[in-house]
Amino acid sequence: MSVIEVKNLSKTFKVKIKDKGLKGSLKAIFKPKYKLVKAVKSIDFSVEKGEMVAFIGPNGAGKSTTIKMLTSILYPDKGKIKVMGLDPAKDRKKLAYEIGTMFGQKEQLWTHLSPYDNFKFFGAIFDIPEPVVEKKIKELSMLFELDEFINTPVRNLSLGQRIRCEIVASLIHEPKILFLDEPTIGLDPVVKENIRTLIKRMNKEYKTTIFLTSHDVGDIEKLCKRVIIVNDGQIVLDDSMENLKYHYLNKKIVDAKMKEKINLDDEDGITILKDKGYNLKIEVDITKRSISDALKLLNPDNIIDINISNVPLEDIIANIYKSKK
Amino acid sequence: MRKYLFIFKTQIISNLQYVGNVLIGFIGNFVMLFILFNLWKYLYSDPSELINGYNMFQMTWYVIITELLWMSLGGRKLVGKISEDVITGNVAYNINKPYSYVGYVLATHLGDIFIKSIVLSILFMITGLVFLGGFPSLTLVNVLVIILTMILATVISTLFASSIGLLAFFFENSRSFWWLYSKFILILGTIFPIEFFPGVLQKILSFSPVFVSSYGPAKLFVDFSWSTAWEILLAQLIYLAISYGICEFIYRKGVRKINVNGG
Repeated sequence: MSVIEVKNLSKTFKVKIKDKGLKGSLKAIFKPKYKLVKAVKSIDFSVEKGEMVAFIGPNGAGKSTTIKMLTSILYPDKGKIKVMGLDPAKDRKKLAYEIGTMFGQKEQLWTHLSPYDNFKFFGAIFDIPEPVVEKKIKELSMLFELDEFINTPVRNLSLGQRIRCEIVASLIHEPKILFLDEPTIGLDPVVKENIRTLIKRMNKEYKTTIFLTSHDVGDIEKLCKRVIIVNDGQIVLDDSMENLKYHYLNKKIVDAKMKEKINLDDEDGITILKDKGYNLKIEVDITKRSISDALKLLNPDNIIDINISNVPLEDIIANIYKSKK
Repeated sequence: MRKYLFIFKTQIISNLQYVGNVLIGFIGNFVMLFILFNLWKYLYSDPSELINGYNMFQMTWYVIITELLWMSLGGRKLVGKISEDVITGNVAYNINKPYSYVGYVLATHLGDIFIKSIVLSILFMITGLVFLGGFPSLTLVNVLVIILTMILATVISTLFASSIGLLAFFFENSRSFWWLYSKFILILGTIFPIEFFPGVLQKILSFSPVFVSSYGPAKLFVDFSWSTAWEILLAQLIYLAISYGICEFIYRKGVRKINVNGG
């Protein structure tokens, strides 16, 4: 059963532009000029109940605009959306009871209040009876490990703790779908991992459908079975994570600082991206060479510092375009 | 209704720590009242003399009540906050919640100014008592009616301020509209009662927001009569419906124009 259906969805923003300097500002008062920015260009997709879908793309790709249209924050210009069978532009209030939203860049919690008081507040606005809210708070604070700071004002929490509370706040009314817009933005790797584990646990426990936007490949790799990639307002790929991994996430970037210079050439599964004497950057094709193999070539005793990362999303998108041509 | 009461209560809890700020803010109000008190003292050569139907005692209490209403309202802050929310797109994040945005703004703002209004009321009453040596003679029921008109006046002013803030959907700087509106209320009903203006203007003012948001409660405080009370309450109920309608209308028209930063 599809819980989200999107057909031919488009959104254009009218953005004011003005010429440089005082003259430009004066001119803009009397003769304002606008340009149209097509943020979303006729996209189609659907999401099934209980799925964990990653909706990813670089900055400005149209992913946040799409999630905001799905959650009734923005009106679409064209196309049809059905979320839990409701039209987000028309059935805003009804839809609010069915979905939960969490925007990583926008806090919905009252900062002077404790998470507990915040959860009670969200319970009240969703008309949930007091005893039910209490039970839910207990249950979720155990799942998201909030006990330690549930009575501390939100303004005194760390970013990771706050994000956990934000997610719990959006789950108080037991939504069928949870929309997460950049849930791990600004978090350090350890906290990111923690949040991902909790999201996974929640999906398993409550069978909540999760629609997640991110430009962090790690989020998607760890969480989702299906990936939709958008770029320039269009869907460039809608595929399983397994296929994406096999075709496009099969490379890792190893950035190493060496004690002594080493001589390394391109070989099967290893491509030298940068070699500046003591600083070396290589690309490892993990279908051909394991990371430990690659590290052996560098000699672990010779490494001062090392960073292993995924290929940037922009490069993956470029590869997708190349492979389609 | 329960959810709006909860929003109101939550805002009060969230603001309890700012009681100290109210006391500091009152110093400015006190200076203002002191200047006005001395101005009227100078204008009234004899305190029992009547100017446009007001003696000095009534005139000073009138200004104290209208100033109290104005200071408690915090209109400039509210307009600034709403227009900032519209400009930055923050207003969008209230849209997908199961409440009316206008109801939410009203509940949060009233919760925001609740403690401040109580503290200012006590301080203004003490100030009046020190300046004038007593209160107008009022029964407990009179006082309750006056409090009711003051609450309605604040609700109406909040709705007008919110409407002006929401004009940011259509104009880049809605604060200038507030500047005009506040000067209109201040000159034509806060510092001077409407009886001080020429006949034609008096007629116009008695149908304007000045009558319900400023003049009405103060007039009742200094010269209570049941006929005036009913007239003011009826006018306030009509204005309540009008101001709510305007606010909701501007919001509904504007919300379609939302541009949220970063999508």
